[in-house]
Amino acid sequence: MNNLIISKLQESLGKSKVLSSGTELYCYSYDATPLVSFKPDAVVKAHNEEDIQKTLEFAASEGLPVTTRGSGTGLSGGSIPVDGGIVLLTTAMNRILELDADDLSITVEPGVITTAVHNAVEALDLFYPPDPGSMKVSTIGGNVAENAGGLRGLKYGITGDYVLSLDTYFIDGSKVRYGTKCVKDVAGYNVTKFLVGTEGTIGIFSKIVLKLVPKPKTKKTFLALYDDVIDACRTVSAIISRKVIPSTLELMDNVTINCVEDYAGIGLPRDVDALLLIETDGHPAVVEEDAAVIESACRENHARTLRTAKSLQEAEELFTARRMALSALARSKPTTILEDITVPRPAIPEIMSCIKEMASKYNIRIGTFGHAGDGNMHPTCLTDERDQDEIHRVHEAYQVIFDKAISLGGTISGEHGTGYAKSKYLPAMVGPKAIEVMKKIKATFDPDHRLNPGKIFPREER
Amino acid sequence: MSHKLDPEKISKSFATLDIHDYGDVLQCMRCGLCINACPTYRTDGVETETPRGRVAMIKAVIDGKIPADEEFIEHIYDCLNCQNCQTVCPAGVKAGELVLEARHRIEENRPQPALKKFMLNYAILSQPRLAKFMIPLKLYQKLGLQALIRKYDILKLISEDLKLMEALLPPLPPRPLSEELPEEIPAKGPEKGRVGFFLGCAMNLIFADVSRASIDNISRAGYRVIIPKEVQCCGTPNIAEGERTVYREMARNTIGLFGDKRVDAIVTDCAACGSELKAYREIFSKDSSISEKAKDFSSRVRDISEFLDRAIDNSLPFGPISRKVSFHDPCHLRHSQKLTAPQRNLLKRIPGLDYRELPDEGQCCGSAGIYNITHRERSMKILGAKIDSIDKTGAETIVSSNPGCLMQLMYGTRQWGKSWDVIHISQLVNRSLNSADQKK
Repeated sequence: MNNLIISKLQESLGKSKVLSSGTELYCYSYDATPLVSFKPDAVVKAHNEEDIQKTLEFAASEGLPVTTRGSGTGLSGGSIPVDGGIVLLTTAMNRILELDADDLSITVEPGVITTAVHNAVEALDLFYPPDPGSMKVSTIGGNVAENAGGLRGLKYGITGDYVLSLDTYFIDGSKVRYGTKCVKDVAGYNVTKFLVGTEGTIGIFSKIVLKLVPKPKTKKTFLALYDDVIDACRTVSAIISRKVIPSTLELMDNVTINCVEDYAGIGLPRDVDALLLIETDGHPAVVEEDAAVIESACRENHARTLRTAKSLQEAEELFTARRMALSALARSKPTTILEDITVPRPAIPEIMSCIKEMASKYNIRIGTFGHAGDGNMHPTCLTDERDQDEIHRVHEAYQVIFDKAISLGGTISGEHGTGYAKSKYLPAMVGPKAIEVMKKIKATFDPDHRLNPGKIFPREER
Repeated sequence: MSHKLDPEKISKSFATLDIHDYGDVLQCMRCGLCINACPTYRTDGVETETPRGRVAMIKAVIDGKIPADEEFIEHIYDCLNCQNCQTVCPAGVKAGELVLEARHRIEENRPQPALKKFMLNYAILSQPRLAKFMIPLKLYQKLGLQALIRKYDILKLISEDLKLMEALLPPLPPRPLSEELPEEIPAKGPEKGRVGFFLGCAMNLIFADVSRASIDNISRAGYRVIIPKEVQCCGTPNIAEGERTVYREMARNTIGLFGDKRVDAIVTDCAACGSELKAYREIFSKDSSISEKAKDFSSRVRDISEFLDRAIDNSLPFGPISRKVSFHDPCHLRHSQKLTAPQRNLLKRIPGLDYRELPDEGQCCGSAGIYNITHRERSMKILGAKIDSIDKTGAETIVSSNPGCLMQLMYGTRQWGKSWDVIHISQLVNRSLNSADQKK
């Protein structure tokens, strides 16, 4: 972009809201996705809706692409400006506009940090369950765009299950509000639900209303240790088939446990093959009943030991440790490539076996952790981007794992999105007709492909 | 010598940066978990002011993707080096230390203002010499100011900075503490051991009363206190500004000085000094002429809280202090030395004391050496947030253990018109021990 265009943009928005030096642009060329980097031509830091509108109008007049970005913690390249253009930052729009404790909803701007919502509502004995691993940093806008999941997904659902209403800007600068604060609202197409998870390719959210639920009265947290990861996987299926849905059912294998313990030092056993972190919450009587079922399922599937967290603080430590898993895995090798496959829960032992086999066949190191309770696993390859041969083997191994997940009735992405990184796997996942339908929808909202281009749909040239 | 910056020369020096020593730049998987912990991201809200961004920029300079120009250098110097990012990074990336290494490369390869060289290479070498610059106070301030102008070329800020420098300094003691103390102070009661006391420059020249209290506490705990008079600066200012030659010279001297005194522990009541003294073992780990001695030295270094919490046993009772108290963790204590428990334990042992945890724990106060002078505006925003978080506790006394933090918090207290008092933990412990004494 030439200097003239930059100064026009600065003139329109004010100088302090436009970043354009080489160093600044470099810093917006990446998010948390490994091996992907593209520089924008300018970065706009929006402080209000007017800034969003002006940016879109400017981009339209110059024919520039626009890519929305929150904290840049995405794992599929969703906020990376693949075709350059303008990166639109929403982090400065970070006000909680209304907390309606009588009607159980919260209205926020897109840049509000997920944890800030948790803190605000839990102070009033309310609960906003979605808790992605990056929740201390991630923004609600990003969570909605990616339909983020988290540890509590199996019982409470994911971000999209809590979105009541969205104020959305489209690429032409027009704004529409879909949805209301009402729990029931079937007026017209459910565009609100559609917009959730569109990964910034359809619209830009400027105001988000989220549903809240009462905070569970009590909870009980278990740590189950296993000498064989497959036994841990069987436990997951066993718990679910006994019709108990824990609020959290997380798995970490030996590689992950050791990396997490290296960072957190909370006394996780380093010699076990896997552990399950299990939590059940709700009314005290129900929690006790569920706990008994969970215990027997663990024991029948050869848990070496099963212990209960003695305090809320101990439980919180275990959860924090689990949320750190991905980043902690990064400590052992320079490059960390993780995936996000999800399978029906009875198939968890089978996909886990496949992951182990591929790690050994392709001679690569994979640490696996994940939300086993909803079938969402994160096999994470610890590698080195400078070793081209190994990177190639990693991609081959993942191809096999993806194919296996799909053949088991699963999906290539449970919660990280397709974005740039997984777009080439999408056709095999959904088939040509579904791609065609999605492309038609995209063209309706964004005929020139200027809003977050290069995402979801694979490009031939790659 | 040319006074123009040569980005290519600096870039070349980055090419040999042994990144493996710093948690490996490549190890950063850019998850972003550090960004909200970073004080400059909180004030500026842009990626160039995050630990993740700084690591990315340094890597980009190594890879030749961006130039090591004025803008890059500015971002590298905007870091307060609080090292909160290192505390929160699950991958073990040492972003703060990497920034210091980058500064070192930059300083080695850019023209140095004469006054800065004078301060870091000459004045700092001896505390009596430093003391001379403090008398008269105005001369000291003028020197600081000149250094500032030459280094940062921010004429537009002169008057405001001068005002701030004056406002930051508390009333100075008439004489440096080192001139008033004997070389050794015997233990009160039966002697349990020998402690070397490292009297830091700022403590000696500005907070003499604090160190007097520290030494009294150590002696009452049953230890003979040895206070070497020829002690030099710990080197923190040099490391922060990328200077390492004089730093090593001073560190060698300090290691030798205490090595001869047969002490069980080396205690300091300045968190910055403590963190630097503990780092000597790393700094000299590859220098066989001194590595063993440095290791022995650093392994004996204790922060004052770390020492007192263990040294004061039941034979020395704490007297009651009925006050609501919060502790502000100096970054050099919490993030560099990874100490959070001893200072809290110590305070909670005082009967009647109502301890209140500060919300948003682990955030810097914005002092960061001379950051409050060199980056006044941002430092004041950070301080404002700290004052807000103190306000939420209802504390009547704010305790800390680093001279920079104390000056910054005292200034903030006056500036925001707050009524709490700001003191060093040694002073509060000393008051408590005194009140137990009076009860007897």
